[in-house]
Amino acid sequence: MNARRNGLLTRLGEKERFALLLIAPAATVLVLFQIVPIVIGANASFRDWQLYNPKETWIGLAHYRYILSDPIFLTVVLPNTFVLMFASVAISLVVGMALAHLLNWNFRGHTLVQTMILLPQMIAPVIAATSMRWTFNDQFGVVAAFLRFIGYGQISWLAERWPSFLIVLFTDVWIWAPWFALILLAALKSLPREPFEAAQIDAAGRWRTFTHVTLPMLRPVIGVCVLIRSIDAFRTFDQVWVLTGGGPARTTEVFSIYAYIETFVNLDFGRGSAAAIVGAVIILIVAWIMYRAVDRLANVSR
Amino acid sequence: MTTARGIGGTLCAAAATLALGAFAPAHAADTLTICHGGHPIMESNIKIIEKWAKKAGVNIKSDVIAYAIYVPKITQLLTTNSPQCDIIWHNDDWGQLWKQYLVTTDEVPGIGEVDKQPLDAFWNDEHKLTVVPMVHTVGTFFYRTDLVPENEVPKTFDDLVKVSEKLQKDGKVKWGYVGGMSMNNTWFSLWWTMWTNQCDILKPIYARTVKEWAADNWTPIIDQPCHQQIVEYWWDALHKAKISPEAMTTYGRNEANAIFEAGDAAFTVADSTFWGEFNDKNKSLVAGKVGMAKFPYGPGRTSPISWIDIWGWAIPKAVSPEHQKLAKQFLGEMLTDLDGQIGMWNETGGPPPNLKTWGTLKANDPTFRALQNAVFENEHVHSAYYFANWPQLHKAYSDVAIKALTGPREAIGQVLKDGVKSLHDAAVGQ
Repeated sequence: MNARRNGLLTRLGEKERFALLLIAPAATVLVLFQIVPIVIGANASFRDWQLYNPKETWIGLAHYRYILSDPIFLTVVLPNTFVLMFASVAISLVVGMALAHLLNWNFRGHTLVQTMILLPQMIAPVIAATSMRWTFNDQFGVVAAFLRFIGYGQISWLAERWPSFLIVLFTDVWIWAPWFALILLAALKSLPREPFEAAQIDAAGRWRTFTHVTLPMLRPVIGVCVLIRSIDAFRTFDQVWVLTGGGPARTTEVFSIYAYIETFVNLDFGRGSAAAIVGAVIILIVAWIMYRAVDRLANVSR
Repeated sequence: MTTARGIGGTLCAAAATLALGAFAPAHAADTLTICHGGHPIMESNIKIIEKWAKKAGVNIKSDVIAYAIYVPKITQLLTTNSPQCDIIWHNDDWGQLWKQYLVTTDEVPGIGEVDKQPLDAFWNDEHKLTVVPMVHTVGTFFYRTDLVPENEVPKTFDDLVKVSEKLQKDGKVKWGYVGGMSMNNTWFSLWWTMWTNQCDILKPIYARTVKEWAADNWTPIIDQPCHQQIVEYWWDALHKAKISPEAMTTYGRNEANAIFEAGDAAFTVADSTFWGEFNDKNKSLVAGKVGMAKFPYGPGRTSPISWIDIWGWAIPKAVSPEHQKLAKQFLGEMLTDLDGQIGMWNETGGPPPNLKTWGTLKANDPTFRALQNAVFENEHVHSAYYFANWPQLHKAYSDVAIKALTGPREAIGQVLKDGVKSLHDAAVGQ
């Protein structure tokens, strides 16, 4: 056994052994805190395992059958998750692009504006969501005060499905648009000057330059940003939990809230784990499709 | 001394310290850890326990666990036999959830001097107690004494609407009633009216044992007239009479209390323990203008009913026998420390668990007398339902009720009818 291991180690060059040594800490953390919990979670998803009833009886696919036939999961949770994901990523991208262009100009107070724009990204999402909940509070919120000032009656934002969903979306965009802005700004600054000079010589207007020069050159960066952010948006939790808790009456529930409620409100670790696995499979498929699309975009722009 | 010798000496000293630590007699009994939710009442009660522990030369370590994760965290500790907490905060909601993981407390001194009814949640399968009471938690109807004379305090649901509308019309107050309504705050609006309208969630009404519910096949009664009445009552309060803000369906306790403390509402229901906060001039604009009264009742009853339960302490079975013994000793000393408990009442407004204190408080404290009149001298109901699937049922109930309250009024009956299955499934864990 030892001889075999020594053989394997000696077959590797010094460079490879050094590389293995370097990745060992990260790999250990990955295995302990990602792989092992996923395996435990996957195992739990096939068992009848409530936190107060830890017998862990094997029940096969029963939890999966329940989730995949649960009308709330199919008709509310999944649509909400995808609407939030697509809307948040799309709006954040557009706003982030606009902000990146703004920050790409030199003007007085540039540093101050840049810092202010990046502020939401520096705040923990749970704090941002809490402050947004009070901002839209119908009695004490600044939005309510403004509406009263202009003579408009108060709106019970969080008491109805779509207004509360819009606030969740608004909060998510508010937090994440600066992230897009930051990365797109870095990309903008790294673009070569020549194509822009050529466009200028050809008398192309600003919009035409943007659509025919800037945007194609930014495509690979945009693609990667959208991919990363979409995967992240799929598991949005803090904003929804703090702002609406998935309510009113489950109408703003998204995938992560569904899994959380099964696990930590109902204390059903088996069903909660199955929900998490179902979500993981869905996002894997979505991510694979998006990855193919991003790859194609990158190839087109080469 | 050279650097090398210095380092060598330090290492030797460290090794010696470790070795001594390893072979020294264990001082496992020196510190007891209390895990709790950080509420001022818990902090105050821990002070009493600490006083007695100090006399015995034992340290008390107070570990606060956020309320949002308290149940999963403690359940995880209990089911994995972790001795991390020697004493845990326990309340009626979780009485049946954790009963098999807790040591029995029937022999704790003073346990015979507490109110018996609130102990219903805490019996294990051998009919042994698994709690030591810390304080009574009682829902209380608060009103503004500067706006409503004592003899005009609403006695019925209709009175509450009429008095509120008059106060609003006169421009004395923005809202008549405000109370928490969202998930986990259901007590402060829907449920007190449910109980005071001779109604409940499951059949039979006011039953609190698995045996009784199972005999009735876990039948929810939210589609019954008594329940439809209270949902329609709140729908009208929110959307028609507008004595309460429409957004109240989303309010937790904090939002409702903020409105009451800002002087924008005439009535609220909260735990009696908020008496102190409502009368704190640094926090409340209505300090000194708050009274307590009996709950208004609905058409289903002719007298009020109130809810009385307890918070307590419990000892996990995973704790070592020495720590169990010490924990029981200090909890018994807390329970029989009448002065300490009166101090806790004065500090927090939390009604003491030992009934022997009540005579003194009744004789000397007008606030306690008012609370006793408003809450303790009525017929009682328990505010929670003692079985393991209760959190699921609570969530299912909240979703159905909020759906009914945020939809059209004419759909209420159908929404409640449709909700019966989800409540039944939640109750039986399907």
